[in-house]
Amino acid sequence: MTFLHPLALLGLAAAAIPLLLHLFQRRTPPEAEFPAVRYLAEAERRTARRLRLRHRLLLLLRTVLIAALVVAAARPLVPARGGAAHAPTALAIILDNSPSAGATGGGRLALDRLRVTAHASLAVAGAGDRLFLMLADGVARGGTRAELLAVMDSVRPAAVRLDLVDAVSRAARLVGAEPLAAREVHVLSDLQVSALGDGHAVRPADVAVLVLAPTDPVANRGVAGAEVRDGAVAVTLGGTAGAAAGAVALVVGGREVARALAAPGEQVSLPLPPLSPGWRTAEVRLAPDELRADDARPVAWRVAPPARAVATAEAGPFVAAALDVLRDGGRITAGGDVRIGAAPAPGAVVLPPADDALLGATNRALLAAGAGWRFGPPGTPGPLADSAGLGLAGVPVRRRHALLGTGGEVLATVNGEPWLVRAADLIVLASRLDTAWTALPATPAFVPFVDRLVNGAARGERPVRSREGIPGVTFETRGADTIGATVSGLDPRESDLTPAGPDTVRRALGAAPLTDARFAATRFGGGRRGDLSTLLLVVALLIGGLEMVVAWRTR
Amino acid sequence: MTAVRRLDLLDPAEVSALGGIEIVARGVVEGFLAGLHRSPFRGFSVEFTEHRPYQPGDEPRYLDWKILARADRLFIKQYEEETNLRAMVLVDASRSMAWRGAADRLTKRAYADRLAAALGLVLLRQRDATGLITFDDVVRQVVPARVKSGQWARIVRALIDTPDGGGTAAEAALRQLTGLLARRGLVVLVSDLLFDRDLVLTALRYLRHRGHQVSVMHVLDPAELELGGPPEVRYRDPESDASVVVRPRELARAYAETVQHEIGAWRTACRRLGVVYHPVRTDLPFGLALRLLA
Repeated sequence: MTFLHPLALLGLAAAAIPLLLHLFQRRTPPEAEFPAVRYLAEAERRTARRLRLRHRLLLLLRTVLIAALVVAAARPLVPARGGAAHAPTALAIILDNSPSAGATGGGRLALDRLRVTAHASLAVAGAGDRLFLMLADGVARGGTRAELLAVMDSVRPAAVRLDLVDAVSRAARLVGAEPLAAREVHVLSDLQVSALGDGHAVRPADVAVLVLAPTDPVANRGVAGAEVRDGAVAVTLGGTAGAAAGAVALVVGGREVARALAAPGEQVSLPLPPLSPGWRTAEVRLAPDELRADDARPVAWRVAPPARAVATAEAGPFVAAALDVLRDGGRITAGGDVRIGAAPAPGAVVLPPADDALLGATNRALLAAGAGWRFGPPGTPGPLADSAGLGLAGVPVRRRHALLGTGGEVLATVNGEPWLVRAADLIVLASRLDTAWTALPATPAFVPFVDRLVNGAARGERPVRSREGIPGVTFETRGADTIGATVSGLDPRESDLTPAGPDTVRRALGAAPLTDARFAATRFGGGRRGDLSTLLLVVALLIGGLEMVVAWRTR
Repeated sequence: MTAVRRLDLLDPAEVSALGGIEIVARGVVEGFLAGLHRSPFRGFSVEFTEHRPYQPGDEPRYLDWKILARADRLFIKQYEEETNLRAMVLVDASRSMAWRGAADRLTKRAYADRLAAALGLVLLRQRDATGLITFDDVVRQVVPARVKSGQWARIVRALIDTPDGGGTAAEAALRQLTGLLARRGLVVLVSDLLFDRDLVLTALRYLRHRGHQVSVMHVLDPAELELGGPPEVRYRDPESDASVVVRPRELARAYAETVQHEIGAWRTACRRLGVVYHPVRTDLPFGLALRLLA
């Protein structure tokens, strides 16, 4: 047996009041003369046994009456199959409002079905429960039932993906830390396979996880990715495996400029029309289907004339070859706007000198150019880390100088130390672009890197970035110039609405999915109790009536 | 026309407020006799005195049938009672008699004194030799039965001279009483009977054996019949100092049953002995109490 308000049991001390009154309120009665004492003694002798019995019965009834009222106030709960009451429970509800929850099935929004179940869980919750609500943003909100209901009512499909395994692990830890009789995590999600991944949730043994079974799978197509490449927009389609192909349209300035047919998993290229220089945006659109949120994805790019670039002899043969390739492809033209391997000056890409004896002169030139950076002692080898989208990630660097200085922008690092820096209209590289220093010239990424270096980075531009969020384009400016753009879009995995099978759910979350009815019957199952307070109040009422009868007869 | 208030029918406490025992007793007796058509206490014989003309309301049995037959006239024969009745009133003056349950009532002793005085006056007016004995643990006052003038005054004086609550009624006093009642006659015991029943019954049996006509007036305060008082009280016996703590509300019913049982037991025992027994509450008008003896 457990109690909803165990502190009320302190009132059981009041059950001793009748006995204490009996023991301590024995005062000396007033004395009076009465000649017929012999009759009194005789009457008392005849009734003593009956009166003593009644007095003890009254004492017992009053004590039991108080005890029953106190225990009723403590709301005793006993294990029961039915009834709404349950032991105090720490409950975390994971309401998956990721973009896929916006899919419709059977004329009903997936999120609405999840919300109904969440409402039902909160409706059953009692005052003694500790409640949390976790949405796709991964934030666990604690609060009262009313507060969480208000939050729940305002929930809409979000633009971020929810990692269910991680969410269940965190929710289980959260409720597991609550000092209550029972702990439950209710997982209300469309249970996409992609949301479960290969991991499995870690949860304390006494935390019960209840997973609502998904509905029937819904076919869906979505724009998984789109980027401008070589005068065209490369579009990758995602979605449910086996979904039929659909029309993919490219819209620029509100006008459809290209169209193709593609199915999930396929990639199509939609040619861009000639456009005047500047930053441009377009949108890749799909025909509307069950999930509207992934039917469009924006793209952004900069239309600019080819850079006029040249390599000095100091740059080495690999750079010269790359520039030849780019020149042949029309990506650059002859000219000196960008000079690779030249002395520090605006538009120059500065490399370490082949002869270390010239290092001091180069540093002085960098200082004179106001770069704020200089070549230091040799640095440790390591892989490249690319923070600017130059395609350098993971490329090993065997030899380099430490770049010392401040200011500007670090575009790539090795072992956390600057390797490629842009400052004062010039680029400083910590390694020569030679296979003796780095494997980069020998990789396929070298020519595109040089392309981005001369057509973008050297001009002060940043590559277009992408991030998860509400579809849209955000431009980055410096002064009056636009130097970059960030394209927001949904995580492409959200387009695949295929639900996970029971085995996958059991493996990932440690619990089998439950139907709506089974879920309703199982919730608070670890702490479901029958409330005895009503029964106790009835018993107290009967005892009170009996006490009145006995007291009346005694008097 | 002013309504005449008969003192014998008034509340004893109100009547007693009018004066001492003599005044109260006289007033009670006057009223009591005025309400009677004949002598309340008949002796062993009566003696004819004279005739008088019949008046409506006279009892036909007193008609002189011989005169009616001879002269066809209605005459009533009048008699004078002989003074051959010896009556002795025994008044219990024990400590328990000096108690009353409420301030506006007479103590049992005061009630008994006035009842005894009134009874004595009635008897003396009938020219019965009447005497008085008061007793508690010993015999306190003895007025031998006489019919001479001043006898009633002596009875009243003896009542007044007997102090309240001198002790408890005891076997010795009852033995002495029976010794004092050598000649047979009427014996009226006025007492609350709060002593050993067997002892009293032994004395009564002895008196009956001696040929006495015995009446017992069991004086009870109303508070002795119905138990009341504070929620809890220690009641102490004024005679024995025995005490008992009771809750009157709890014990009231059982107590009332016990008292009625005691009264029933006294009535049964007296009936077996040929003794007339009357329970008398101290709020019973004296006239009604006297009528019980008529």
